[in-house]
Amino acid sequence: MSRTILQVEDLHTSFYTRAGEVKAVDGVSFHVDEKETFGLVGESACGKTVTGLSLLRLLPEPAGRIVGGKIILNGRNILELSKKEMRAVRGKEISMILQDPMTSLNPVYTVGNQIAESIKLHQGLRDEKVTDEVISALRLLKIPAPESRIRDYPFQMSGGMRQRVVGAIAMSCRPNLLIADEPTTALDATIQAQYIALFQDIQRTTNVGILFITHDFGVVAKMCHRVGVMYAGRIVETATTSKIFKDPRHPYTVALINSVPRLEEKNKRLFSIEGQPPSLLNLPPGCRFAARCDKVMDKCREQQPPEVDIGDGHLVSCWKVK
Amino acid sequence: MVSIIPNVKEKTRKQYTGVSRGTRIMKNLTLILPVMVLTLMVICAIFANLSWLGLPQYGLAPHDPNKTAPRDKFLPPAFIEGGKSDYLLGTDKLGRDILSRVIHGARVSLSVSLLAIFITAGVGTMLGIFSGYVGGRVDGFLMRIVDVALSFPGLLLAMLLAVAVGPGFWTVVFALSVLGWAFYARLVRGESLRIRQSDFVAQARVNGASPFRIMLRHIFPNVVNSLIVLMTLQVGMMILSEAALSYIGIGITAPQASWGSMVSDGRAELDRAWWISTFPGVAIGLVVMSGNFLGDWIRDKLDPRLRQV
Repeated sequence: MSRTILQVEDLHTSFYTRAGEVKAVDGVSFHVDEKETFGLVGESACGKTVTGLSLLRLLPEPAGRIVGGKIILNGRNILELSKKEMRAVRGKEISMILQDPMTSLNPVYTVGNQIAESIKLHQGLRDEKVTDEVISALRLLKIPAPESRIRDYPFQMSGGMRQRVVGAIAMSCRPNLLIADEPTTALDATIQAQYIALFQDIQRTTNVGILFITHDFGVVAKMCHRVGVMYAGRIVETATTSKIFKDPRHPYTVALINSVPRLEEKNKRLFSIEGQPPSLLNLPPGCRFAARCDKVMDKCREQQPPEVDIGDGHLVSCWKVK
Repeated sequence: MVSIIPNVKEKTRKQYTGVSRGTRIMKNLTLILPVMVLTLMVICAIFANLSWLGLPQYGLAPHDPNKTAPRDKFLPPAFIEGGKSDYLLGTDKLGRDILSRVIHGARVSLSVSLLAIFITAGVGTMLGIFSGYVGGRVDGFLMRIVDVALSFPGLLLAMLLAVAVGPGFWTVVFALSVLGWAFYARLVRGESLRIRQSDFVAQARVNGASPFRIMLRHIFPNVVNSLIVLMTLQVGMMILSEAALSYIGIGITAPQASWGSMVSDGRAELDRAWWISTFPGVAIGLVVMSGNFLGDWIRDKLDPRLRQV
């Protein structure tokens, strides 16, 4: 059994707006182990990114706030750390890869300089040693000729290269946990496949645990060991990737997987889920998916279903599942 | 036949570049001339005399700018009948050499404006970056102060200061700086607000950078372009304001020469000795225009989006 790096327990994150409290993340629990990729899947605005930002405590202030729960990283609850202690955690123990490689590099610095920033911040090395570390980070991301690449500016690189540099920044201090917020969305299909293979490689050599946020089930199938399916601020089903695909239990998961286009079913109309997710400002008392669910019962509309373990860490929140 | 070929050449070049030869030459002149003028003025300011080397008797100025020579008063420039070749641009009512005074005036006028520009740019940039980065109420508060500073008549404040503190070099520097920072603060705050939202700032936060570090290392380098443009454009404005203050007598005090006070000195004598006011006036005009042309050029080179500044 490998070590658990991150344990999130009953996390609640809200945004306080003029219209009221928006419960973006409402009681989310999951864990990420060493060498493991945990996928967080769901449609837009279901709270995936907010969950990721909560882990770094980088919610947009002052509206966003973590209102409850525990985030235990390497054995301590990071919600109890001071701002300064939190800065020491960011980049060193948790790192994040942002979505768009085109804009997440500072145009005025060479890529070597930018990778060096987080190394200098966290490791206090001498200059020659920093350069060595920068080059080894670039090597880890398989960037060719790193010795000369460190003097390049971002605009001199292609999108795929920049995304690798962003990865090198994230991995430069060998964090235990890497949050990847749809890192492949901005890349085209061939580069995407390369990038995923690259990260699987990096995971083997560095033991990093990855929290992979995505809406793409294809990427999930390739990349993740376990998956949590999110809907309207909650995780409705958690299981290993193969279980999620072979034996999905929650009606939302079933519907989601059915709405992925398939090559073999050529002439059928693509399945889509009727209706819209509920407003996070004004949540229904029962199951959040009740209004769109095809197996809905009266109980679903009245009471929130509890999370049930149906064996082997397969967790489902649905009244239908016993 | 012979004459057609060069015409065709010229025509195709115009088609390719969309710019005729005349326009190209003009474009280059608007860079070269200002740079030449400003370099000349800076050389004048530095080498007016070599007192900073302990050799006040040597330098570019042919005479001591403050030495009076009653016998040589109101001499016209050397190129006009009655002028002495000793006094190239003539003398004023005390027989002081206009050329030497213009050269020494460059030192005073340029150092006043450069000092004021660096002070205002420094203060304005710091406040602007901070205001834009922190945002919210702090930003609102600071920007209202900027509004007040921008709406206050600068000359009036300078006069109050001159009355309160007494005129002089540092009074002028202070009077020019006390409101001037607001321009920088406003410009930089806008940029800072934009850059704060960018992904590379988010990335820096993810890496564990402190707010101070983000402002210094990530936001500041990205506002430098706009800053340089504004600073260059302000050279002209500062020279003009200094001249205005000295002209109304609350700036640089006699006998020290500044361009503004020289124009003012010659005002009463304009009908019989036009050269006293004219030459320092020309110097002011040249520097202001050069500063503006150079500023425009830098702006176009660095950031075409800033055309409306």
